[in-house]
Amino acid sequence: MSLKECYAALGGDYEDVTHRLPSEKMVRKFVFKFLNDPSYALLESSLEAKNYEEAFRAAHTIKGVCQNLSFSRLFASSNALTEALRGGWTPEAEGLVQQVTADYQATVSAIRALQEEEGEG
Amino acid sequence: MRNKTIRFLMVSLILLLLLCVTIFSFLATYMNETGMNTITEVGTIYMSGMSDQICRHFETTISLRLSQMEALIDTLSSGSADEETLREELRYNATARGFDALAFYSRDGQFDMIYGDPMSVTDPEPFLKTLNDGAVKIAVGSNTRGEKIVLLGISADYPMKNGAECTALVASLPIEYIRQTLSLDEPNALIYSHIIRWDGSFVIRSEEMEWSSYFDRIREIAEPLDGMQAETYVSELSAAIKSQEDYSTILQVDGERQHLYCTSLPYSEWYLVTILPYGALNEAVKNMSVRWVALAVGSCSVILLVLIAIFFKYFQMTRQQIKILEETQKEAIHANKAKSEFLSNMSHDIRTPMNAIVGMTAIATANIDNKQQVQNCLRKISLSSKHLLGLINDVLDMSKIESGKMTLSMDQVSLREVMDSIVSIVQPQVKVKQQTFDVFIHDITEEHVLCDSVRLNQVLLNFLSNAIKFTPEGGAIQVSLQEEASPKGEDFVRIHIHVKDSGIGMSQEFQEKIFESFSREDSSRVHKTEGTGLGMAITKYIIDAMGGSIFVHSEQGKGTEFHVVLDLERAEVAEVDMVLPDWNMLVVDDDQLLCETTASALASIGVKADWALDGETAVKMVTDRHRKRQDYHIILLDWKLPDMDGIRTARILREQLADNIPILLISAYDWSEIEEEARAAGVSGFISKPLFKSTLFYGLKQYAGEEKETEAQSSRQKIDFTGRHVLLAEDNDLNWEIAEELLSDLGLDLEWAEDGQICLEKFQRSPVGFYDAILMDLRMPRMTGYEATQAIRALDRSDAVHIPIIAMTADAFSEDVKRCLDCGMNAHVSKPIDVNEIARLLEKFLAAHK
Repeated sequence: MSLKECYAALGGDYEDVTHRLPSEKMVRKFVFKFLNDPSYALLESSLEAKNYEEAFRAAHTIKGVCQNLSFSRLFASSNALTEALRGGWTPEAEGLVQQVTADYQATVSAIRALQEEEGEG
Repeated sequence: MRNKTIRFLMVSLILLLLLCVTIFSFLATYMNETGMNTITEVGTIYMSGMSDQICRHFETTISLRLSQMEALIDTLSSGSADEETLREELRYNATARGFDALAFYSRDGQFDMIYGDPMSVTDPEPFLKTLNDGAVKIAVGSNTRGEKIVLLGISADYPMKNGAECTALVASLPIEYIRQTLSLDEPNALIYSHIIRWDGSFVIRSEEMEWSSYFDRIREIAEPLDGMQAETYVSELSAAIKSQEDYSTILQVDGERQHLYCTSLPYSEWYLVTILPYGALNEAVKNMSVRWVALAVGSCSVILLVLIAIFFKYFQMTRQQIKILEETQKEAIHANKAKSEFLSNMSHDIRTPMNAIVGMTAIATANIDNKQQVQNCLRKISLSSKHLLGLINDVLDMSKIESGKMTLSMDQVSLREVMDSIVSIVQPQVKVKQQTFDVFIHDITEEHVLCDSVRLNQVLLNFLSNAIKFTPEGGAIQVSLQEEASPKGEDFVRIHIHVKDSGIGMSQEFQEKIFESFSREDSSRVHKTEGTGLGMAITKYIIDAMGGSIFVHSEQGKGTEFHVVLDLERAEVAEVDMVLPDWNMLVVDDDQLLCETTASALASIGVKADWALDGETAVKMVTDRHRKRQDYHIILLDWKLPDMDGIRTARILREQLADNIPILLISAYDWSEIEEEARAAGVSGFISKPLFKSTLFYGLKQYAGEEKETEAQSSRQKIDFTGRHVLLAEDNDLNWEIAEELLSDLGLDLEWAEDGQICLEKFQRSPVGFYDAILMDLRMPRMTGYEATQAIRALDRSDAVHIPIIAMTADAFSEDVKRCLDCGMNAHVSKPIDVNEIARLLEKFLAAHK
């Protein structure tokens, strides 16, 4: 699996990211780092604790990271969630949280797949 | 509504008038009545007083006479003298006291005359009875001569001639004596009196009368009054006499009222009847009544007049109010209609792009594998979204304006930058419609002014987008900017902006309401044009808020010209000393005004410039100079020239000139398309319209000697920030690493602050001037970027105020940008991190900072 295929799988913009970042190697490095990014965990825990201000910030951070890495799909859902949480909890946030979770899982599994392949190769 | 109010007013006026008249009539009548009653009362009191007085007079007179008679008796002792002597004495004494006759009166009612004419009593019974009882009495009688006399009787015991028993001594007086004593005959008296007996027969009459009985007289002369008949008076009077009571009534005689008062007289069976004719009184009362009525009518009329005046005034005011009300209502209805029309238009306008988005999304979903198709759909979606966003922004602006929330944020603005950005924004649209576009500036003395640049841009863009929209393909659009001294003072400068097009123009009616909210000319010509119709209202509001004015001239089919006049404050800018080498330059443009303006602008930065209006002349001038070996140092050439265009001219010039003499092309268009051709023709570079002093300075600076070449080059090449310290606040590891990776490439020395608090602390601990700039994420735990910026700006150290702080955030709403600037940040970039943009901003701020 190439990085390009990985981007296709997680719904990202490969062209954009390779234009912006100097090398593919660097993109890889950052993409793998995404697995360790604590923002999603923060989002989950703060939602559970009903701390929506913190949840908003977490969603916002996810959105920012996605922009930097050109993860378009996760960016779209996290962006929507950010707006839904901007003024506190709103009913539509419920569905968006699920969407973000799904997109996040998809993104993570695509990156894992790339990582495993690399480990093997 | 209006008729109803008027009718109500009229009816109430009439009712009020009637009420007035009624009340005053009632008052007049009532007062008249009361007057009459009062007169009657006064009459009664007066009459009783008068009667009383007469009675007392009568009593006194009679008492005097009676006491004289008693004195007669007292002077004689009954048995002391003989009968003859007694009689003689009595006669002598009585005559002396003025009695007409004197007689003894026997118990059985026989007179024994002492002297005088023999007499008889008219009604002897009560007279005799009283005298027999030993009291005194007077009565009426007559003598043998037929004269009426008054008899006074007093008890006495004397021997009588015929031997009869004597009961009293009776003296007589003529009736006239009583009349005169009581002054019953006073000709001028207000009242007159009679004395009558119980059966109505007269004792004394005040004047000659044919009636022997007063009762008969009443029966004859009294006229019916208030339900009283003559007979009633008589019966009432005789009843009062019988019961010895006073009687008072009013009679009418010959149409004149009279007051009658009857009371009994002492020592007798007589009654005094006193009459008061109301003649004189009536006259007075009548006069009073007339005055009363006149007064009533007069005051009634005055009140009525005043009332009518008030009503009329009120009526007028009401009519005025109703008129105003109707107008207001009309306006409200009009505004409401405009709003609902606007709403339906808007709904339609919003639905169109929305439909496109929905439809395209469906198509894209259906063709998810067809990349070409999906891309096409996405492009259209993005176009429609932008359009939609534009509409919604307009509506939001308008609602801000309507609720009074739109405010201007005045800041230093460079007119050159404003014009440059406008030109670059409209260029693509102009190109699509193949319209001629030109920008003019003249007499620009001040490039930097204080203004809300966002709103100024909005105004200009609104004019220009309208001009482009309503000008057919191949039409011409012109923008011009001019400055002059402002009447507001030396600190201000007045700018004139003209935006002119050769489009479809507007009708006169529409020009009048073009600046109203929610208006859009509704005709087939503009039917297919989309827009909220709010642009002009917003524009007008912004211009008003800036204290400027706006004018429009338009003619259908010929075009439209908008003219804005603004008085803006000069910005205090430490201007770079703009001086260029002592060059000779040539400016070639078909617009003489532009040539002159440019030449004078160049002169102000130390360059001497000639100008030419077409290519041929220019070639001639350059050739002349070349021959004299006084070549122009730089040539500015307009792209669009008559006959021979700029590129051809450049080619000819280049053949004659050395390669090191720059030929620059002036253009208001995007030159990317002609760049290749131009470069091939020997053009060295481009300079964009409008030609501000600073445009010229910065555009020409790079040609100022070979020694500056490197600097000019470096600005075009990669910028080097080696040794610059930049503090980067970012809470996310990944973002930080990416930023570090990218920005280190620029040679920056980056320091990481994990949140706002740390950022603040690091800055605080650093030596003054250590950091050159701060890049600030906004959403961070503990302390947000906004708070950190405010805290830094509030620090008491010399670099706290000046250090450039650039926000980096995932949000790109204009509100966020504004909030960043409000917090004291210098600029705002949105994620993802764009190295070039950050480099550009850093360069700008670091240069300014230095």
